Order: sequence, then C-alpha cells, then structure tokens
Amino acid sequence: MIFRPKYFFGETFSGLRRNFLMFFTAISTVAITLFMVGFFLIIVYDVQAILSSVKSQVEVAVYLKDNATQEFRDYLESEIKSWEEVSEVVFISKEQALEKFKADNEGSDILKEIQGNPLPASFEIRLSSPEKVEQIALRFLTKEGTYIDGVDEVIYGQNYVQKLFQITAIAGSIAFLVIVMLLLAAIVLIYNTIRLSIHARRKEIEVMKLVGATNWFVRIPFLFEGFFEGVVGSIIAVIMLFFISNYLLIRGEKAIIDTLRVKELAILGSSNVILYIYAGIIILGGLIGLLSSSFALKRYIRV
Amino acid sequence: MNMIELRNVSKVYEDKSVALKNINIGIKKGEFVFLVGPSGSGKSTIIKLLIREIPVTGGAIFIAGRNICNLKYSRVPQLRRNIGSVFQDFKLLPNKTVFENVAFALEVIGRPGYVIKLQVPQVLKLVGLEHKMKSYPHQLSAGEQQRVSIARAFVNRPPILLADEPTGNLDPVNSEGIMKLLSRINLIGTTVAMATHDRNIVNSMRRRVIELEEGEVIRDQKRGVYGS
Repeated sequence: MIFRPKYFFGETFSGLRRNFLMFFTAISTVAITLFMVGFFLIIVYDVQAILSSVKSQVEVAVYLKDNATQEFRDYLESEIKSWEEVSEVVFISKEQALEKFKADNEGSDILKEIQGNPLPASFEIRLSSPEKVEQIALRFLTKEGTYIDGVDEVIYGQNYVQKLFQITAIAGSIAFLVIVMLLLAAIVLIYNTIRLSIHARRKEIEVMKLVGATNWFVRIPFLFEGFFEGVVGSIIAVIMLFFISNYLLIRGEKAIIDTLRVKELAILGSSNVILYIYAGIIILGGLIGLLSSSFALKRYIRV
Repeated sequence: MNMIELRNVSKVYEDKSVALKNINIGIKKGEFVFLVGPSGSGKSTIIKLLIREIPVTGGAIFIAGRNICNLKYSRVPQLRRNIGSVFQDFKLLPNKTVFENVAFALEVIGRPGYVIKLQVPQVLKLVGLEHKMKSYPHQLSAGEQQRVSIARAFVNRPPILLADEPTGNLDPVNSEGIMKLLSRINLIGTTVAMATHDRNIVNSMRRRVIELEEGEVIRDQKRGVYGS
C-alpha cells in the first residue's frame, strides 16, 4: 500500500472534528487518569527523597569514658574509619563538646549550674548505608553485652531509627501497589473510551472494508487518532502536574524541610527526576492511546 | 468462461442453520441476473459469499476463473475492488457529503486526487446527482441515497456489480429509477446480479431469473418472471 500522509492526516483530523465529543472524552480521560498517576508518582518520589535524606542523617554517637587514653582514641578512630559503611567520623573533644553545649544554650540558666566539664568526648559517625546503623552500634558491645572498655555509651536513636526504616519500607511497597493500580485503572479507562469511539464508527469501518480497503488502510487513521489523543491528553496532564508541583508541592516540601530540619534535600523543582516523570507520562500516554486503538480495532476490522 | 461460477456450494452458519445446499450457478460476463425467493432462501448468503464477507462451507466459487475460496485474507480487498456492491440500507456514511462518500471508494484503493476529482463528478452525473454533490445523505430522499450508493459501487468501474435488495426500501417510482440505472450499468458491459423479492421489478425487466427456496435452486430461467 502506498503511504499517503495527506489522506491519513486528513482522515485523522476530520475524524477528530466530526467526533468532537468522543475525542474530548478520550483526551480528558487520558489527562485525568495520567494526572492521577503522575501526581502520585511525584508525591511518592518526594516522600522517598525526604525519607532518604532523613535516613542519611542517621548518626551514631560514641561517647568515651573520661579515662580513655589517647592511644585508645587513635585506635578506635582508625578502626571506625576502616568500616566501609562509614562515610565520615568526627572526633569531638570534651572541650569542643562544652563549647557546643554553651553555644546551644546561650543565655540559659543551665550554664550557671555547670562546674568544670561534665561532658564526655565522643565520635560522631555518619553512615553511607544508614540501614546498617544497628550493626555498627553492636560493634561497640562485648559478647557479654557491655560496652567495650573506654566506651561509655553508644547512641543512635534506637527506636526512632528502626521505626523510620520500617515506615519507609511499608510506604515504599504501598506506593508501588497504588501506582500499579492507578496505572491499570488508567489503561482500562483509556482503552474503553477509545473502544467506544471506535464502536461508534464501526459502520465507517464496515464500508471501508466493503469497498476494498486493506486492513492497514482502515487502521492507520484510527491509530493516529489514538496516539494523538494519548499524547494531547498526557501533555494536558503534565501541564497540570507542572503547576501543581510548582505551586503546591514545593511549598509543602519547604514546610516539611523546616519541621524535620532536613539539611540536604533533593528538592523536586530542582531535580531532573521530575522531567523524566513528565517525559515518561507523555510517552506512556502516546503508547496507551496507540495500543488501545490497535487492540480495540481487532474486533471491528474482520469484516 | 463464466464471470461468476458457484460449484456445489453449500453454506452452514455457525448456529448450524443451513443456508445453501449444493448450489450450482454460472453467470456469464455482461449478464443481468435476478436472484429471487422468499426471505431466508439464501439470496443474501450468495451475495455475502461472493464478496468473501463469509466463507463457504463446501464447494468452490470462481470469479473470472479464479477460486476465491482459497484466497488469502490479505487478497480479499483486491477481490472487493473488482466487485461493486449495493445494499438495501445504502451503507452511506452520514457524516460525509455525497461527493466524499463516492470519493471514499477511490481513496480507499489509493487513487490520486486528480483522478478522484475527475471520476466522482462523472459517475454522479451517470446517476443523475451531479447537482447534489455537497449534500449530506440525510438531505436526500431514499431513492437518491441509493443512487449515491450505486455511484460509489460503480465509480471504480468494477466488472461485477452485486445488489442485495437495492429497492427494498424504495417506492415503485424510485425503484424503477434504480432499475434503469442498473440496466445502463449492465449495458456498458458490467455483470450484474441482483437479489430481490420485488415481483413487479422482475416481471417488468424480463431478465434471467434464478429462484431459490430453502437454500436450493428450484428454477433458472432466461427472460423469466418472478413466480411460476
């Protein structure tokens, strides 16, 4: 068959014009369903980003006994540095600890009560794999369950950290399920809308087949139309997502950042990931439109 | 050689109803043939078999010497381009103008624009509707709509024209007009087969009549009348 773009585009667009209501329905179905998918995807991405930056701030503080020797400190520091889960070790001497405490509590009555330096020296350990925090903490324990000599206490927010990881894991799988469900709902809805619009034009298909049109000849305008509806619908979805994420989500994020005191956060607007999400939605829209048309046509094309 | 030939053709539908039993018919090039008989006698089944809308159950059908029963699915459009078909319900597209409805048949087979612009007005003139090119089907009378559908079937100058109850929805005056048109098309050399149960038309035309009853040919008569 000779490919004649003029005829096919002409047919596609006159089809769109004549079946405006169907066209409008299909486009808004694509726009709304893919908007939902995208919106949820962005929220999930956001929450994950917040959680992972919270996680990256999980620290292990190792407080040393006052009688710990310089030798022991050096030994411990080099030992900790050799662990691959550790990204950074900072030693804080008794003096530094006191200064920091003073700075934190400036003007408070509590400073008057302090005599001498009751604060211990410590190592602050940052982790490259925060999930291993418990294992790291355990390394400061002897087999009997007491701290090794020279270590007074190890603190890593035991309960808080574990809950955080549990919540992250559960939230992650729920989010995955919801996205899959939303996506399925989107596909079913779009498919049905496109199927209905083809059903409404089954007579046209019948006539085309009767006057000797090949299957591809019948198919191509419908495929164009499905693709076009998918792409236009998803572009509308992306435009809505763009405004929503710029005006609502980023503000919400800032509020969350302020409350959680998360220092370094992959802010949505400044991230490339959102562009991938947008591009993905448009590609997905076009594909769903095209495939829906193709599948829906099967029933009508065999005359 | 016969233009259309049915050899021992039988057709049983999926619901097990027997539509045709061992039919043998030969129609020569340029002939005009009526297929008559009551509803359910198998007239429409023959038309559908000829354009491969449905497959045969047994036997073989030859068009211009070629067995169309073992035609590949991808070759069916080619077959249909050589057979114009006209139906009782016109099968016009309501959202296309008269011109577009006829042009559609040429676009579908890949004719270039200038051929379409030339041939469509010609064939519309043949059916007497050159002044209604821009009208939509719903603005036309039933007789005019049927003439548009004949124009569409004939615009490609197929060697065969099949008509399934083309006057079924028309009054006697319009029916006569359609028959004149089909006769003219036949005079140009087109083989015409028309299924009908319109007694008056068959009797006034005096053409070959093949009578079917319960899926069997019970009469095949040159220059025949409707009922014996």
